[in-house]
Amino acid sequence: MNNRIVQNMAESLAKTDKMFSRTSQSVAVREAPLASNLVPVSLGRLKKATLSTLTLVTMALASCGGDPNGTIQMPPARSTMAPEVDWLYYFIYWMSVVSFVLIIGVMMYFVIRYRRRPGNERAAPTGHNTPLEVLWTFSPLILLWFLFDWGFTGYMQGVVAPTDSREIRVMGSQWKWEFTNCEGIVETGNLTVPVGEPIKLIMNSTDVLHSFYIPEFRVKRDVVPGMYSTLWFEATQEGEYQVFCTEYCGAPVGSGENNAGHSAMMAKITVVSPDEYENFCAEGPPPPAECEGREGDDRMVCWGDSIFHNPGYACYTCHNGVSAPSFNGLWGREGVMMDGSVVIADENYIRESILRPQAKIVQGYNNIAMPPFRLSDNQLDAIIAYIKSLEE
Amino acid sequence: MTAEAITHPSSAPAGEEENYLNHQKGLVSWLITLDHKRIGIMYLVAILVAFLAGGVFALLVRTELAAPGHTIMEAHTYNKMFTLHGAIMVFLFIIPSIPAALGNFFLPIMLGTKDVAFPRLNLASFYIYVAGTIMALVAITIGDVDTGWTFYTPYSSRAADGAVVWMTLAVFVLGFSSILTGLNFIATVHKMRAPGLHWKRLPLFIWGMYATAVIQVLATPVLAITLLLLTMEATLGIGIFDPELGGDPVLFQHFFWFYSHPAVYIMILPGMAVVNELIATFSQRAIFGYMFVAMSSVSLALLGFLVWGHHMFTSGMSEYATMIFSALTFLVAIPSGVKVFNWTATLYKGSIRLASPMLYALSFIALFTIGGLTGLFLGTLSTDIHLHDTYFVVAHFHYVMVGGTVFGFIGGLHYWWPKMTGRMYNERLAIVSWALVFWGFNQTFFLQFILGSQGMPRRYYDYLDQYATLHGFSSLGSYILGVGFVVMLVMFLLSLRNGVKAPPNPWGSAGYEWMTTSPPHPHNFAEDPFMTRGPYDYHLASDEELFEGFPGDFTVSEAKA
Repeated sequence: MNNRIVQNMAESLAKTDKMFSRTSQSVAVREAPLASNLVPVSLGRLKKATLSTLTLVTMALASCGGDPNGTIQMPPARSTMAPEVDWLYYFIYWMSVVSFVLIIGVMMYFVIRYRRRPGNERAAPTGHNTPLEVLWTFSPLILLWFLFDWGFTGYMQGVVAPTDSREIRVMGSQWKWEFTNCEGIVETGNLTVPVGEPIKLIMNSTDVLHSFYIPEFRVKRDVVPGMYSTLWFEATQEGEYQVFCTEYCGAPVGSGENNAGHSAMMAKITVVSPDEYENFCAEGPPPPAECEGREGDDRMVCWGDSIFHNPGYACYTCHNGVSAPSFNGLWGREGVMMDGSVVIADENYIRESILRPQAKIVQGYNNIAMPPFRLSDNQLDAIIAYIKSLEE
Repeated sequence: MTAEAITHPSSAPAGEEENYLNHQKGLVSWLITLDHKRIGIMYLVAILVAFLAGGVFALLVRTELAAPGHTIMEAHTYNKMFTLHGAIMVFLFIIPSIPAALGNFFLPIMLGTKDVAFPRLNLASFYIYVAGTIMALVAITIGDVDTGWTFYTPYSSRAADGAVVWMTLAVFVLGFSSILTGLNFIATVHKMRAPGLHWKRLPLFIWGMYATAVIQVLATPVLAITLLLLTMEATLGIGIFDPELGGDPVLFQHFFWFYSHPAVYIMILPGMAVVNELIATFSQRAIFGYMFVAMSSVSLALLGFLVWGHHMFTSGMSEYATMIFSALTFLVAIPSGVKVFNWTATLYKGSIRLASPMLYALSFIALFTIGGLTGLFLGTLSTDIHLHDTYFVVAHFHYVMVGGTVFGFIGGLHYWWPKMTGRMYNERLAIVSWALVFWGFNQTFFLQFILGSQGMPRRYYDYLDQYATLHGFSSLGSYILGVGFVVMLVMFLLSLRNGVKAPPNPWGSAGYEWMTTSPPHPHNFAEDPFMTRGPYDYHLASDEELFEGFPGDFTVSEAKA
């Protein structure tokens, strides 16, 4: 037991040294001009001395900052940011415990020591002690300034994403999360990211306020309609992590298992190895759960149908025969293009139309410029199977 | 004396002292009364009904949360329940609780004056409160108010039916009640103090009420304007907060918290104000560092205006704003700490009696200290990001609002009950209910700190299994808390029915309000008082003043014939 504590303390000491050297440099290192402007205050040597003293005090008190397996108070710490947040959390925690015990201990002592007894009906008149008043009015400022500074430095690291971050779009809407991953692959309710790489989420909402929160990463940011907000993290361990919506967004009227609204607006972050992630981006996501258990063409048609109706792609909004050709009866049909050429809608035509939509445009449908969709080969096959099925 | 008898014909039964309860009879005499004491009692009844309603909603919410999944209601119903719990507790109970009920009753008495500066305005503010309450009832009856008490846009402004509009207008109206009470108190404190009652003798309860009144007058109009803008957006489609109409939803949060953070001090300062009186009386001593404590109330009132942004660290404010709001937020810890330190120092060499009001005062110190210290986690930026909008925040503000304000209010109610009703209550029952309330409160809310730091978001109808155990115990605690309040209610009702007649000064206090009869004379004092000593000058108060009519557990001089 003792050995473990000593070992923990040694590890913590190493961690803290690293942490403090990082807090003083990191902002500049991360090439963020905004952040370096924002840390104008440096107390120099005094700060360093205070830091090392307080570090020692912290060392003696806290033994569980940033535990990757979690503690009774904190969920597992699985991002690069999490250990620092936990360190500060436990620092404030132990500081609070000590303050509370001191204040309430003194209070209880006085209550017992000076309780009313015969002969003590009259209390001694209250005196004045201005130096004491001034002391306890102003001395907490030092500690509070230290907390502010530590918290602000950590906050800025969370705000300013490293410039080499991988960018992923997040769309919140009542009551689901949608991610545009690998520059084009849309995932709903699950986000696949590589371990050990900074990920920057660029988020907005299609309806009301939401908030994106991953407890294991200690990050949270509101998702607001009409503006983008960003959040970044770097996962330190593979696994599945919970995403919560933490800004109240209502619930539908009526009963039913899927009607929990706000509290059911959850998602998973699936952290995988860089290789697996590369694979994921190339192959695209696997078919949705509702297509599991089906065989051959049937499975592909189901998958294509789910892509067509996925609001993340929203094919259906344009491909209705008005803005863009309908998929009904499209397969094998001859069409006249803008340049007068005649093309048969076959596998290659459909594939090209998804990956490079501007290559061939059917006459009469040049009002809307369809953006390219980076679907995986499997997904393209699924779409083709789906369009084929509509012809019959 | 004759002139007085003519202007105020007394209906006091023969042989009974004339007091504010018996000098006029009948329901009408209450409804049109200009007596601040009767208005205070009417407020007290009204807010206790609101407290009961809010408490029932709280228990329904906790029952739903006792186990994961559907327990007793659907998600949509649950959302209405927590909205009603929050809105009723904040707007109908806590904000008016101490100022409008206890403050109305005791502020003029403690100033040694006959009434507040504007008695008619005082009655008007009560009826405005009633009107606001009726509008809130209309909102609850006609439809779905499920926005949370914060009314965040665009969710609130896009609500399909008119119920949200009724609710915001109800809060708008209730705000005026608060403003008028504040105005009345400021004018009364400035202009109507009894001779000899200079500012340095002002009871600390009055200092607290004064600081509260300043916030009520300055901050509430901003809420009124905000809610009016929200109503205009919801009904007329004017784009202010909804991005679809060209508005900015974060703007609403700024406006809302510009009121609602100072409102936190409208809630907690009166609680602190009461605790000052309790600590002084039950230690038989002046509050240590009187001027520091008085000024800490005023500085909390002012600082309260500068920290609203700390509710929005994750909202998308600029980093500069975030930095400044965090730094300013830490300053709030200073005056709060000053109070706690001075209260503790007051106990030193006191003559401490652990009567039921004192138990509430000491509980206040402990619970408020926990509430304040956990505020440090939330004022610190990087930890707040993790904890924001989780149960940690729920626990934190319940420790301040319930552990602070409600404990202060209940303590004050026990303390002044004999003065208001002329009856003593059963001390044993009072201590039993205190123990249940204290235990139940801590079991309910302390566990929520851990739920929150483990990541449990607030306003969730359903939750993951990993949170089930703590939620279950928390719900259990809320029932204990509820039972505690029921015991308290029974105790007070028993006291009204057959309580022992209260002497003028049952606690042996040097406070001015104890220098009149219980219940007080219709004019508060039979003769206009002249203050020759401060309200905490125990060393200048005679044994007769302090111990006359002490209910008997200490040897005191015989009651005057």
